[in-house]
Amino acid sequence: MSVFVDITPDEAHVAKPAAEARPRHWRGRLTRVALPLLSVVVFVIVWQAAAAAGIWNQTFVPYPATVWRAFLDVSTTHDGVRGYAGYLLWEHLYMTLRRVFVGVVIGVALGVLLGLVMGSVGWVRSVLEPWLTFLRALPPLAYFFLLVIWLGIDEAPKITLLALAALPPAAVATTAAVVAAPVGLQEAARALGATRTQVIRDVVIPSALPETFTGIRLAVGMAYSSVVAAELFNGIPGIGGLVKDASNYNNTPVVLVGIFAIGFSGLVIDGLLRAAERRAVPWRGKL
Amino acid sequence: MKLKALLAAVGVAAMTLAGCAVDHSGQDAAKPTIRIGYQTFPSGDLIVKNSKWLEEALPDFNIKWIKFDSGADVNTAFIAKELDFGALGSSPVARGLSAPLNIPYKVAFVLDVAGDNEALVARNGSNINSIADLRGKRVGTPFASTAHYSLLAALSQNGLSANDVQLVDLQPQAILAAWDRGDIDAAYTWLPTLDDLRKTGRDLITSRQLAKDGKPTLDLAAVRTEFSDAHPEVVDTWRKQEARALDTIKDDPDAAAKAIAAEIGLSPEDVAGQLKQGVYLTPAEVASAEWLGSDGKPGNIAANLESASQFLAEQKQIPSAAPLKTFQDAIYTKGLPDALKQ
Repeated sequence: MSVFVDITPDEAHVAKPAAEARPRHWRGRLTRVALPLLSVVVFVIVWQAAAAAGIWNQTFVPYPATVWRAFLDVSTTHDGVRGYAGYLLWEHLYMTLRRVFVGVVIGVALGVLLGLVMGSVGWVRSVLEPWLTFLRALPPLAYFFLLVIWLGIDEAPKITLLALAALPPAAVATTAAVVAAPVGLQEAARALGATRTQVIRDVVIPSALPETFTGIRLAVGMAYSSVVAAELFNGIPGIGGLVKDASNYNNTPVVLVGIFAIGFSGLVIDGLLRAAERRAVPWRGKL
Repeated sequence: MKLKALLAAVGVAAMTLAGCAVDHSGQDAAKPTIRIGYQTFPSGDLIVKNSKWLEEALPDFNIKWIKFDSGADVNTAFIAKELDFGALGSSPVARGLSAPLNIPYKVAFVLDVAGDNEALVARNGSNINSIADLRGKRVGTPFASTAHYSLLAALSQNGLSANDVQLVDLQPQAILAAWDRGDIDAAYTWLPTLDDLRKTGRDLITSRQLAKDGKPTLDLAAVRTEFSDAHPEVVDTWRKQEARALDTIKDDPDAAAKAIAAEIGLSPEDVAGQLKQGVYLTPAEVASAEWLGSDGKPGNIAANLESASQFLAEQKQIPSAAPLKTFQDAIYTKGLPDALKQ
């Protein structure tokens, strides 16, 4: 999941002469809706052509129709079999989202707190920064086994892993944002008689929020890209567990269904976060 | 200027690194290469590799040994035509020979038959004294493995289905962790983890017993059909070395244990213990009607594979089981049993 920088939030609010605005408005909407749709159509056509060309084995490039059938099979009860491994697709996805949600909430809360402290107090930053960078450099797979030994095989190690994946980006972004809070504004507030706490509450945090939000979006992305690792052991129900199990059986169509489910839900989550960001920090870029 | 220097440095570094991969395989570009996929379960494969018998017997070829962690990965490599020989369990072979994979390979050797080295163990204090007691309990096993197959076979022998117990997908090292923490009540797994579990648990059934009951799990070696058609003489040489390794396991278990230990990083004593618990056939048994069979008369192994394929179909991992004929056609019996004689 990547982070897009939003550059079109104000379009609707800028007053324009009505006659000129209408066609442009429509053209804008057309490009925004039609282009992504067109790219999807082109993608499916290329995919179908690649599968039909028969250069690659079906296991490597199955037909789009095969994947669609796998999607239907995984989403419904058919021939007395419930979805994949006894759970429907949405149940797999729900369990994963639940884990990601809890993990991200813990990771981001700790990360933002840590970032605030690190950004405001110099010596804390010196102490914690190497630790944070160390943690950030670790692939989750490397330490997941330790979490299993310490925390068991149920929800605890999975949520801990996702929280550990989400923490560093949130902490790093918040630290950077707090450090970058405009000194001029801080001094002005100080000169007007604000206490240290007030300066942090009314100046530093509001100016740091937009970048913190970017950090949160990155954190969610990091957590989301770790779900297969998190669900490596006892991962069913879970979309990561589904992908892992299906690949153990060389079941490519189901693997692709899982990948699409992860990708699409990632897009939706990022869209929601961007909407939340627009609501929560409308002053982004205007400070 | 600085940017240019930086780019130049990155470029030079990339070129150097690309040219200096760490590779000790000693390949000679002038000779054709035979690619062999192996796994680290104790078997004759590892003796052949460690003693470099193939390299000696086939001086006109490069021999490239590639390590795999699961039969699914070996199947993938066969599909990609990246392997000529590969070692994998009977369950992945049954999957590979059935639709939709239909991998063009043939079973050319039986590396070992699972014996007491794979077993279902219940933890002391969990009040499980028989397989029927497993109802509703948590049982760990690595999914898609031969142990998974054996576990479900053992359950169905006792009138239980997969839904009557809580199956947990765990790799052996995680089984040990979950076992010590009390997260699982029983597990179907293999050595060396199995020996650790046995310290605080007891066997409910072993794969040796399941084999007697008609549900054996085996480690097989497969050869790519295209390769065996083009180089039958190489397959003959390879089979002879594998047969020689089986003889070594039988006649000189210490030497066998030492060679295998060197490959998988365990002590020779540990490996000797593992070899005792597995079932290693003699070359004559491999070519008997019970296993591979003889030239033109594929043995009983085809029926084992068919049964594994039916099991996979019941598990909904393949759309439908392949017919017996498919598996009979996929046994490489050319020249058997004489081809295995030294």
